[in-house]
Amino acid sequence: MKIGVFICYCGENIGRTVDCAAVAQAAAKFPGVIHSEDYKYMCSDPGQNLIKQAIREKQLDAIVVGSCSPHMHEKTFRKAAAGAGINPYMVEIANLREHCSWIHDDIPSATKKAIELTRIAVEKVKYNEPLIPIRVPVTKRALVIGGGISGIQAALDIANAGFEVVLVEKEPSIGGHMSQLSETFPTLDCSQCILTPRMVEVYQHPKIKLLTYSEVENVEGFIGNFKVTIRKKARGVKEDLCTGCGLCVQKCPIRKVAKNEFEEGLANRPAMYVPFPQAVPNLPVIDRSVCTYYKSGKCQMCKKVCGRDAVDFEQQDSFVTEDIGSIIVATGYKLYTIDKKPENSPIQGYGEYGYGKYTDVINGLQFERIASASGPTSGEILRPSDSKVPKKVVFIQCVGSRDEAKGFTYCSKICCMYTAKHAMLYKHKVHDGEAYVFYMDIRAGGKMYEEFVRRAIEEDDVKYIRGRVSKIYEEDGKYIVKGEDTIAGMQVIIDADMVVLATAMVAQPEAPKLAQLLGVPYDKYGFLAEVHPKLRPVETSSGGIFLAGACHSPRDIPESVAMASAAAAKALVLFGSDMLEREPVIAKVNAGTCAGCFYCQKVCAYNAIEQKEIKNRAGEVIKVVAYVNEGLCQGCGTCNATCPSKSVELVGFKDEQIFNEICALY
Amino acid sequence: MEALQKIAKEALASKEAAFIIGYARVPGSQKTRPFIARDEAEAGQLVFDEYCQNNLAVYLTRIARPKEGKMGIVAKSCDVRAIVALLQENQIKRNEVYIIGVNCSGVVEDPAQPLSKENLAGKCNMCQAPQPAGTDTVVGEAKPYERADDKVGKLLAQLDSLSPQERFAFWEAEFEKCVKCYACRQACPLCYCEQCIADKSQPRWIESSASVRGNFAWNMIRAFHLAGRCIGCGECSRACPADIPLMLLNRKMGMIAMKEFNYRHGSNMDDPTLVGSYNNSDRNDFIM
Amino acid sequence: MANENFEPKITCFVCNWCTYTGADLAGTSRLKQQPNARLIRVPCTGRIDPVFLIKAFETGADGVLVSGCHPADCHYNTGNYHARRRWIFFRELLNTVGIPESRVHFSWVSASEGKKWVDVVNGVIDKVRQEGPFEGYKKINNEFALPEEVEV
Repeated sequence: MKIGVFICYCGENIGRTVDCAAVAQAAAKFPGVIHSEDYKYMCSDPGQNLIKQAIREKQLDAIVVGSCSPHMHEKTFRKAAAGAGINPYMVEIANLREHCSWIHDDIPSATKKAIELTRIAVEKVKYNEPLIPIRVPVTKRALVIGGGISGIQAALDIANAGFEVVLVEKEPSIGGHMSQLSETFPTLDCSQCILTPRMVEVYQHPKIKLLTYSEVENVEGFIGNFKVTIRKKARGVKEDLCTGCGLCVQKCPIRKVAKNEFEEGLANRPAMYVPFPQAVPNLPVIDRSVCTYYKSGKCQMCKKVCGRDAVDFEQQDSFVTEDIGSIIVATGYKLYTIDKKPENSPIQGYGEYGYGKYTDVINGLQFERIASASGPTSGEILRPSDSKVPKKVVFIQCVGSRDEAKGFTYCSKICCMYTAKHAMLYKHKVHDGEAYVFYMDIRAGGKMYEEFVRRAIEEDDVKYIRGRVSKIYEEDGKYIVKGEDTIAGMQVIIDADMVVLATAMVAQPEAPKLAQLLGVPYDKYGFLAEVHPKLRPVETSSGGIFLAGACHSPRDIPESVAMASAAAAKALVLFGSDMLEREPVIAKVNAGTCAGCFYCQKVCAYNAIEQKEIKNRAGEVIKVVAYVNEGLCQGCGTCNATCPSKSVELVGFKDEQIFNEICALY
Repeated sequence: MEALQKIAKEALASKEAAFIIGYARVPGSQKTRPFIARDEAEAGQLVFDEYCQNNLAVYLTRIARPKEGKMGIVAKSCDVRAIVALLQENQIKRNEVYIIGVNCSGVVEDPAQPLSKENLAGKCNMCQAPQPAGTDTVVGEAKPYERADDKVGKLLAQLDSLSPQERFAFWEAEFEKCVKCYACRQACPLCYCEQCIADKSQPRWIESSASVRGNFAWNMIRAFHLAGRCIGCGECSRACPADIPLMLLNRKMGMIAMKEFNYRHGSNMDDPTLVGSYNNSDRNDFIM
Repeated sequence: MANENFEPKITCFVCNWCTYTGADLAGTSRLKQQPNARLIRVPCTGRIDPVFLIKAFETGADGVLVSGCHPADCHYNTGNYHARRRWIFFRELLNTVGIPESRVHFSWVSASEGKKWVDVVNGVIDKVRQEGPFEGYKKINNEFALPEEVEV
């Protein structure tokens, strides 16, 4: 085998700490190497041409490039090799930058290491073999998990491009948090007015299969070929029969037992309920935890009044399995509940603000409901305790956010804007009221955002106080807010009628579980991780799985919508081809030596190992051996390491290659 | 003995079994040897007593499968565990074997001497159930026997108390004796690979010459490949012409399987195997 | 005794997705490390066969480091769990034959833990430096490299 070695200076990046010429000279002496040179920028066009020329002129069979990490330019050099007529998999990279020049100062020892790293790569490439990418068909069908604005946007984009979408929402209705909002910043459009048409469009779209009150139970397969099992939770109502007339809800005698989730606990709802009037689908659900029938077997009022006999008390959870090509995760966020320290959590909570103890200390979403025309007060600003108009309202920002000691290090990003909006809405509705905002900084980056905050301060006379609140307590029917004005350098005490806390956006508590199911990494807060923070912000490290909205990090509506469209575009890119090319790094079985113990099958996470009968000429089964399904194998090589007789080998990382690498050391 | 022969004859006559893997007396000696009875006359030579040390399960994967009928086998309770292990590992199917369980009262260590507390095979010390379970039939009677010192356990404890350097030196001296005859592998009922890693030349992970270094590699790899799988019959140690205490390594792996996973291979054919399964709560404290 | 001038040789087996990428991040962040470690990249810790470790010692390593994705973060879902189960046995086996824990190290280093990688690598190098050259293996390696007179 004729091997060529190409050592890159990467400008000064490698050249400064590694004597590249010396590495190239040393490599020239390695057995098998017939060509070795160094160049300033191997990844540049002239650099690549250098490689191509050497391959052609010296008839090289394989090349080693000593450069940056293979994660950076392996593809580039493979392409260059292919351009010169050799198989792209006859290329190995010695990582002389990230793993050598950038982490060492001493030139002699870094150069020695670089020579060894190059030798390892040369020894490995000796056992590389030409590989052909595996082609697998793409199922052109998307799964969108989460039916908030992000999920809705992604589903509509994909469906409007002509591809089928399965949209799964765990709540009885789609709409998410956006459906709870009153008006939206910075334009003050009515949230439901702009959202409801989208919800209806989803419902009526011929390409969208909507599964509400459902959750993803299991995910198998890989990019282009997922098999997803979805649990449809029992509504107690037959979806195909119910017309959404609402009679059952009206007649349910268990009227006010359960906190209305949509109203953030500011109102109650019956056992049989539709989450909110604009719900999509407009189908009721039985809350089995409070329904009389499930307690005593009695009542059945809903069943009696239903003209369509749609009520089904015995309904069980059911499961559907869908073939999916791409998955978009849009599971959104939750608000941090701040009343007490959560169990098993380093988060301290904000007991001193009295959330959960004082009825009129509420969070941002609760204020949205109070300000909403469809809310419990029909949009009149009335405080929850006595339904009186609060004349003095204090808004506190950064409750939980940007607070390493008691909450989270990150900024929840939307609170500056929605607090300005809240204060503004309040002032618009209570003209003689006073609004105070405690803030740390005002972060109003965004189109028309800064102007919006200025308007609140200048036109609507919202009083902004830079500082933190240390304590809230009740005295003579007032909430005494004790804080600090760090600009004036004095203590501030406000006797408020109501306090609104802008609590942090946190990840859905079930997000890590879902992430594990999907094989998507997540951070310590439970937010799902993108593959590259700048250049691949919606892709995950699991192929074919993309992120949209606040499941990734705190973000507002326009950002969520943009991200959702980006995720949809990524899915559509995938659907643009009928076949998908995959790295040919997969396991292969030597049927001749396989003893059929099937330990490989047990360790395979992808069910990629099957049993195959070997027959003699007479057609009799002489033995049963392992067989790798190329479409399913992802190339981890766990089978290879498990096989005692080494009858399974991972192409691209074969025993011979690794053996040679180890032996090339020292 | 008559009962054993009677059952064997019946199984062969009824074609239930194509042959019976059992023990026969070495002529002119009290020792026994593995013997395959293929007809009723040969079944008359089958014996079982305290001189039947071999784990015959090893033959189940070595012998040509009969076209018709099952492979009959005479099995002590320890041998049954090897058979169950083979079932767990897809090497045989339950309907391919006809197991004649024999109740056992311990076997000898040295076949030149009669059975006694001092001359008791190491595995019999560890035996938890002399009556085989899950066999097609059982013959004989298990008499209680006096247990001797657990020599392997003692030696292992001694070894553990040494420094790593001393342990290395101990094994260096032991592996110096290894001639790579692979008798340990031949005698092991769970070494059934068609091509052993030791025979693989591309690449040659284990040097083929009998160097100390290659012997280290071979014996470590063999012990590792048996980790969580060894059923403790001790045939490897018994087969070793150089008297290398191979059971020390196997016993150590067995102890880990018990301590970390409460698992004994070959206990139940439906048990998931230790290798090939995992638990989120597996020990993690040694990983930085 | 530990030799002040002794520079240990550490062979590392790391998975492509977490630790290798974490080591890349350490590089991108210019986090300085001692130059004694050599990384061999495999797709997953599940691919790391104990024979690799034995071969590493045979080729002169004074210490070995094996590193991959944290539990629940494996790019291949479960490769690291199977690997861990393997290590539970193998490290005890090595210890029993006299290859002590101080020479065989395991870690979980994610793609974002560049700093942790540096700490792990430097820590392992220091520990093995303290342990000194692996004389036992060096001796049997030498025996193999220079066989006594061979009769023909």
